[in-house]
Amino acid sequence: MIDINWLTLAPPLALLVTACIGIVFGIGFRSTRPTALLSLVGVGVAFLFTVLLLGRSGAGETLSSFGLRYLADQAALTFNVVILLGTALTLFMSYTYLGRARLEHAEFYPLVLLSATGAMVMAAAGDFITLLLGLEILSLAVYVLSAWRQGVRESEEAGMKYFLLGAFASAFLIYGIALMYGATGHFTYAGVVALLSAEGFDQPLLAALGGVFILAGLAFKAAFAPFHQWAPDVYTGAPTPVTAFMSVVVKAAAFAALLRVFATVFPALGAVVPVIFAVLVGLTMVIGNLSALVQRSVKRMLAYSAVAHAGYLGLAVLAAGQGANSGAQAVVWYLLAYTLMNAGALAVMTLITDPNDHGDDLERLAGLGRTRPYLAALMAVFMLSLAGIPPLAGFVGKVLVFQAAIQAGYLELAVLGIVTSIVAVVYYFRVVGAMYFREAEYEPQRARSQMTNVALGVAALGTVLLGLLPGWWYGWLSVGGPLLAGF
Amino acid sequence: MTLWTILLPLFGALALFALPARGAQRLVVLFATLFTWLFALALPQAQPFEAPWIEAVGLYWSLDPAGAGGVLVLAAATVMLPAALYASFAVRERTRGFLALLLLMQAGLNGIFLAADLVLFYVFWEATLIPSLLLLGIWGGEGRRQATLKYLTYAVAGSFLMLVAILALRPLSGAPSFRLADLLPATQALPFSTQLALFVAFALAFAVKLPLWPLHAWLPDFHEQNHPSGVADAAGTLYKVGGWGFFAFALPLFPEAAAAASPYLLALAAFTAVYAAVIATAQTHLKRLLAYASLSHMGIVGVGVFGLYLAGLNGAMYLLAAQMLSTGGLFLITGMLYARRETFDLTAYGGLAKSAPGLAAVTLFTLFASIGVPGLANFPGEFMSLMGAFQRSPLLGGLATLSVIAAGVYGVNLYQRLFQGEATLQTRELRWGEAALLAPLLTAILWFGLFPQPQLARIDAHAQRTVARLAEPAAQGAAVHGAALAADATHGEDE
Repeated sequence: MIDINWLTLAPPLALLVTACIGIVFGIGFRSTRPTALLSLVGVGVAFLFTVLLLGRSGAGETLSSFGLRYLADQAALTFNVVILLGTALTLFMSYTYLGRARLEHAEFYPLVLLSATGAMVMAAAGDFITLLLGLEILSLAVYVLSAWRQGVRESEEAGMKYFLLGAFASAFLIYGIALMYGATGHFTYAGVVALLSAEGFDQPLLAALGGVFILAGLAFKAAFAPFHQWAPDVYTGAPTPVTAFMSVVVKAAAFAALLRVFATVFPALGAVVPVIFAVLVGLTMVIGNLSALVQRSVKRMLAYSAVAHAGYLGLAVLAAGQGANSGAQAVVWYLLAYTLMNAGALAVMTLITDPNDHGDDLERLAGLGRTRPYLAALMAVFMLSLAGIPPLAGFVGKVLVFQAAIQAGYLELAVLGIVTSIVAVVYYFRVVGAMYFREAEYEPQRARSQMTNVALGVAALGTVLLGLLPGWWYGWLSVGGPLLAGF
Repeated sequence: MTLWTILLPLFGALALFALPARGAQRLVVLFATLFTWLFALALPQAQPFEAPWIEAVGLYWSLDPAGAGGVLVLAAATVMLPAALYASFAVRERTRGFLALLLLMQAGLNGIFLAADLVLFYVFWEATLIPSLLLLGIWGGEGRRQATLKYLTYAVAGSFLMLVAILALRPLSGAPSFRLADLLPATQALPFSTQLALFVAFALAFAVKLPLWPLHAWLPDFHEQNHPSGVADAAGTLYKVGGWGFFAFALPLFPEAAAAASPYLLALAAFTAVYAAVIATAQTHLKRLLAYASLSHMGIVGVGVFGLYLAGLNGAMYLLAAQMLSTGGLFLITGMLYARRETFDLTAYGGLAKSAPGLAAVTLFTLFASIGVPGLANFPGEFMSLMGAFQRSPLLGGLATLSVIAAGVYGVNLYQRLFQGEATLQTRELRWGEAALLAPLLTAILWFGLFPQPQLARIDAHAQRTVARLAEPAAQGAAVHGAALAADATHGEDE
């Protein structure tokens, strides 16, 4: 008996079907733009389904499919919102970029959609096998996308590096899952938890070892130090819209998986996994911020800043692992804010670097406040929000994360987080300083794109509004009880 | 009305970007600052404002117009009106951005003074940093990048720890929200060590902004490098909100820790007052001199606050408001001087009184107010602050009082260097427009000096609550005594 609730599967299915249509018919067009528009429609349909499901889930209905292997609970659905928004921003950003950079191949948009499908599956996984499937669907598409600039060494290196290290990470994850199965005989989180907490469970060591391997696999995807080494090279080498996609959608998927595993399976494993993760989080905040401080290339700086933000998100995951619903809410809230501000910053970068993505040094941004005042003002908003300056979205996100961490008893890590945030202010503000306090040294790029402007507008408006009226998004996270469905 | 003191400048700043014509921009600035001033005047009759921000986390948009903050809003609005208008003439480059940032600055300042929710207070505290940084970084002088970085580092390093403390406060105290009204009853039960740790985190942020020696190093560079019109300096003077932070938040929230730490802070403040005044006597750069003079006043504000007596607390807040007027006015006058001579080097000035007697008179008046001449704005506050300090420690109070003598020295010295002696060049007399801009400031300075009671009553009601929380019987007894003395003193000067 297979229990399939098609409605719960509708959002990823909408993306999958659109991707298939895009691949088949996209080849017939000379330009990729029809495929891009089709993809946007697909994202819109998936979004409508998500909202429909959110309404039903908010009314207290438990939505799931395949037993409890696929969960469309409040957490999965709100993650879907983040993933779809990140995907839409990527599509808008790529629309004219691909033509300008001579990267127009029909498969681009279907691959983005496939990857987003994988991300949604990861967010909804209630079972280690579903998680692995989602992860692989997501990753394979992104490996290809990061090497999209054929014949350019940085891009090919990025793809290769990401693929090799990603394969290692998957191996870790699979090994961990195997150990967990060996110890408990279950793949579903519910089954594993039931056995782990049962009387007379005799394989605690094996299960804990499995947990550590699973953590390592997911930490790689989420770019936790010391598993973050791939991030700067891949983020710099990939075409900028792909960088944006990786830093928001892939990150959201990784955190969706981490959050669920942390809130369900790991507490039953004892104290060892959270302790290891706490060390990783501390390392990530310190290494990410200190490395970002010494970068001259803005894209590379944003790559390290992505690592640093992974640290802050990890802090909220830790809090969620202590049973704090506020921790889970902080993770999802922060991810939406981060998606808006980081995708916004990278969208600005697509307009000011040259078509080969070169020239993203700080010097290139000098004087932007005069040469392209509106673009500079938007960039300033994104930078200040990333730095956590109120009243922008990034600030509220940090408040929620640190608040949840302190409540869950991680005061030391919260203090470390805030101290490292001070470092972050310096490198983000350096960008603002370059744009406004220095004279232009180079002739600025004159690239313009209506579609990128849409992405910029949405991102900037969202960054400001989420800061001023954070309750709107928080409300979605608080309806219908705890974010993660109980078992 | 409470909310409008924040929204009006904010909307004004946004409206500026829609208007390319300079005349229209000037009208917007006039309208926004004038009506903000009127709203500020009406604050005693205003209702508190409250709306949920994230209710589940206990965050509220909560503004309280009743406290001493209302007086500071009024003083700031009185300075901002002429300052912004002056900027619309004196700032030639990228005027629109400058004016917009000034209005944003005012919105943030009013938020700082009115916030009754701790996280909201922090939001305004940090949000105000951005316009002041950009004003310095974009329109500043040669060394602006170093000055900006120094200022940013001090400000951010100080305030992030305060954020930790604010966030920890609710879980630690078990209060249902971050509103002051909910936190105040909850924090008194905190163990002393916790109180002390939280107090120190708050105190660091406030000491940087007060500023208190040795955390003041950003201040002279900040003023030296800001735009020569002096408008940004005046705005920066309004932004010295450390004293307010101690008075409204750190002391009432952590009374025991404040009582334990106050002797040390009192000593630092007294030293700051004297040290800065002495340094000011040796300055030859006009703006640096004023920066140190203002630092010295801040030392006296600190002395008043850390005395923990009612008289001192009242005096400190009154002085904070009064020095906004006098120091703000002096910075605007430096802008007018620079417009004539294009230098801040005092040795290049001299004999201006012969060709510009009106300018000399206006400067002398403001300078007298600044150094605490009775009958003008600074005197009542300075007197009561020092009195509060004397009650706590005659030795430190006496030390701080020395700064008043040094103030006389640098004040008279400054006037002599500018206006007396050999006239080297003809200097343009004060224009009607400039006089019209300064007139409301001078009136306010006189008003604050002659009739302190209405404003002092608002401050006193707020300070009474703080003193009651300090819960030291001896202090309370002496405080009542002190208030009576202070009232006598101010009345004595009226006659």
